[in-house]
Amino acid sequence: MRFAVEAWSPEYGVSGDESQLDEHAEPVDLDVEVAAKSWEPIRASTLDTIERVVFVDGVRRIDARIWVDDGGQSRQGVCASVAAGAVVCTPQKATVTEVAVFRGFFTQPLEKAENIQTKHGDYVYVPCASDRPEDIYLGIHDQMTSLETSLQVESSEADPKGESDGGDLIVFDGPLRGRNSPNSVGYVKTQHVQYLPDSHQPILGRLSAGERTPLFHIGGRFGRYSWYLRLPSEQTHPLAGIVRCEVAAVGPPSEAIALAVRTSGVLPWYGSEPHKDSRAPQNLYPIAGLENQLRHRLGDPLVLERALRNAAS
Amino acid sequence: MGEETEIVGRILGTEDATPLLFWVAIAPGQHLQLDDVIAVDRIMPTGETITAYGVVGQVRARHEGAKFQSDVFMIADGRLPAEVSEAAEIQLTRVVPETFVPPLPGEPVRKATDSERDVALDFADVERRLPAGLSRENEPIYLDLDFVDGTKGAHVNISGISGVATKTSYATFLLYSIFNSGVLGASATNTKGLIFNVKGEDLLFLDHDNTSLTPDQRARYGFLDLEPHPFTSVGIMAPPRPGDPNATPQTGARQVGVEPYFWTIAEFCEQGLLPFLFADAEDERQQYTIVVRSVTEQLRRCARTGDTSDGAVSINGVRVRTFEKLVEVIEDILIPEDPDDYVDAKWSGRAVGGGTINAFVRRLSGSTKYMSQLIRADVNNATRYQLDLDKNQLTVVDIHQLHDRAKRFVVGVVLQQAFAAKEASGVADPLQFIVLDELNKYAPRDSSSPIKEILLDVAERGRSLGIILIGAQQTASEVERRIVANSAVRVVGRLDSAEAGREQYGFLPGLQRQRATILKPGSMYLAQPRLPVPLLVEFPFPAWATRSSEANLAGTIDHKSLGTKDMSDPFDEVQ
Repeated sequence: MRFAVEAWSPEYGVSGDESQLDEHAEPVDLDVEVAAKSWEPIRASTLDTIERVVFVDGVRRIDARIWVDDGGQSRQGVCASVAAGAVVCTPQKATVTEVAVFRGFFTQPLEKAENIQTKHGDYVYVPCASDRPEDIYLGIHDQMTSLETSLQVESSEADPKGESDGGDLIVFDGPLRGRNSPNSVGYVKTQHVQYLPDSHQPILGRLSAGERTPLFHIGGRFGRYSWYLRLPSEQTHPLAGIVRCEVAAVGPPSEAIALAVRTSGVLPWYGSEPHKDSRAPQNLYPIAGLENQLRHRLGDPLVLERALRNAAS
Repeated sequence: MGEETEIVGRILGTEDATPLLFWVAIAPGQHLQLDDVIAVDRIMPTGETITAYGVVGQVRARHEGAKFQSDVFMIADGRLPAEVSEAAEIQLTRVVPETFVPPLPGEPVRKATDSERDVALDFADVERRLPAGLSRENEPIYLDLDFVDGTKGAHVNISGISGVATKTSYATFLLYSIFNSGVLGASATNTKGLIFNVKGEDLLFLDHDNTSLTPDQRARYGFLDLEPHPFTSVGIMAPPRPGDPNATPQTGARQVGVEPYFWTIAEFCEQGLLPFLFADAEDERQQYTIVVRSVTEQLRRCARTGDTSDGAVSINGVRVRTFEKLVEVIEDILIPEDPDDYVDAKWSGRAVGGGTINAFVRRLSGSTKYMSQLIRADVNNATRYQLDLDKNQLTVVDIHQLHDRAKRFVVGVVLQQAFAAKEASGVADPLQFIVLDELNKYAPRDSSSPIKEILLDVAERGRSLGIILIGAQQTASEVERRIVANSAVRVVGRLDSAEAGREQYGFLPGLQRQRATILKPGSMYLAQPRLPVPLLVEFPFPAWATRSSEANLAGTIDHKSLGTKDMSDPFDEVQ
């Protein structure tokens, strides 16, 4: 397979925006935990000890844009690196336990496409729906999600003390998008979509630090229970410090409520402060630390780009 | 160096690795500490293996993944993931074969032990190894005798704060090692040592067992293949008690086996020792030095022409038996009673004014009360009290109770006599070692004196004559540069932090300088020409008594009545 590396820096062109991932116009049911008419902020139970929590996150980076020679036709493609990892937090130590790195060559399905071999590893050919930037972006994101899912996240069976009942809480950064392993919580930092009806939206502004809304059900492709939570922060606007959590709607609502109670008790402890993180408080410390390590594990972009150019020539 | 050698870490790639200085990332579960000796290989394109050896100069640990100082609290709380990483800075000691390339990042690093350690510290090729101390793991550290005995270099210089630097103890340890390690072979028996005892009666008991020597410390001699016992052939010389007509030695705790020393009037005149009474006699700016020279000449003439069999000298018809008398006679000659009388120009020197003569006489008579017990012929058989450096292997000359002027005189004269004897014999063998503390007093940086000239002679020519100076001082910065510069071996005990920053300690890399300010008693930095890095050595607690309280004197001495202070033991921490 012949290909060339775009001379332009990879930042140009394919753009990624998380908002593409948000599901729109899905039916919402507010009567899960309490009746819609009696919605009030719920104070999280304060925890005596912080239980063991696992945070899972992934990062991605476009290393190079390439042009593939497809029988005389030049086709666009993207070489990208994705990494996923888990950090296990105990009251004593936060440890990055699992890290997986994947390098892929994303393009539309091509007959002659094959893996790109470089000095620093192979870029595996991943066919996407088309070569439109949105599809390529989704392809990369799906790789990251499946990498996250493939991690052997330690469950509480490995916890000799067995302190936590029913397994460790596993917090995935971002929407669950169909992941439904037990004790898994999706953690959404940014609020692009308004799920609550206008009648109930103002309750978010009334949440104090550590308080959450009652659970509600979001229908659609990935049915899940969700709630909003306010992390401790300076409340400069109604949505400051608001995050949305979700669990897969596979079990009865009572299980989801129990998970919501646990999560809401734990997460404020990990909230970041503005002078340390530009996305405070939503970007939790363990996730920020994990992302730093994952970005580091992606490798030096200049070294990888040089390796790709060498492989192309 | 087999396959199974444990890897303690790998060469860091995030810091520059250079041929002389590089960093090692320490593997999990491993550790390196300061002074550890390591080895790392590099295979050259030719297939040749180059091994770089070094000692750990610095070790650091840090959190990887932390950006802010306060992150450490979150890491401890389990909120932020971070790893602790440790790295050690390595100072190159040797590279074999000599190809100065940096070790490559990622190369495995091992600790150099046993025979490889000898290679790393360049002991392996040393034919004559002089045990110079132990590492903290009780591994021996050697000096190349070639750099001590004058073959390639000579002289040892020791710096450090009084009391905690244990300079004198280390000097005696070196002497002991020279005499007893067998490194000198058959000539060890004839090798002589001379120590000036400048402080307390510390060195008057070198021939006694040290009662404070613990079994542990005793065992440390074994690591150096030395037997722990006191010096065997020791002569203790002390100045006579002032005012005592029998010239009994002036010592406190030690009364037995001490011999007095002094010079007869005849020796004083004959050998021209007068200049040693004047600390600044060599200073050409001083007018009265002309008078000193003339008088010295005349005294020598008197001694050579008259009868000196009983140690006395006749000057202008007067039989001179005491120093007071000598001063009196000289005064009479230089300052006639009648001011109009003519002064003998042979004595005063030509065209010398009255003021200059007065300056000389004033200085001379000022020395009377300090010198009279040392220069005399009023004792029976006065001539047998000459200092004989060959009588015993080790001669201790006590000067601690003398006035500064008398100290300078004794040191200067003894050194000159030793030097003259060596010059006369014309061969370096057997070696004469001289231990002198407080070099800054005898060879100060910015002045000139007869003693300094002698010391410079020893430093610059002693190597070929077989006179080896083991000099010590609190502050090398106050000692004549050429004396320190001529010492092949430099030793540093604990230093004052201001002193440690001075250029005289350029042989200590930055970190070692910093550490020199916290060295504990019994630990020294040893810099020798074969190694570019000074090594930390510990030396075993002396097996010989270094003060009266350590000597087993069978309770014959009442310390209180003698007024000897019960000094705290500077080696306390070592035991």
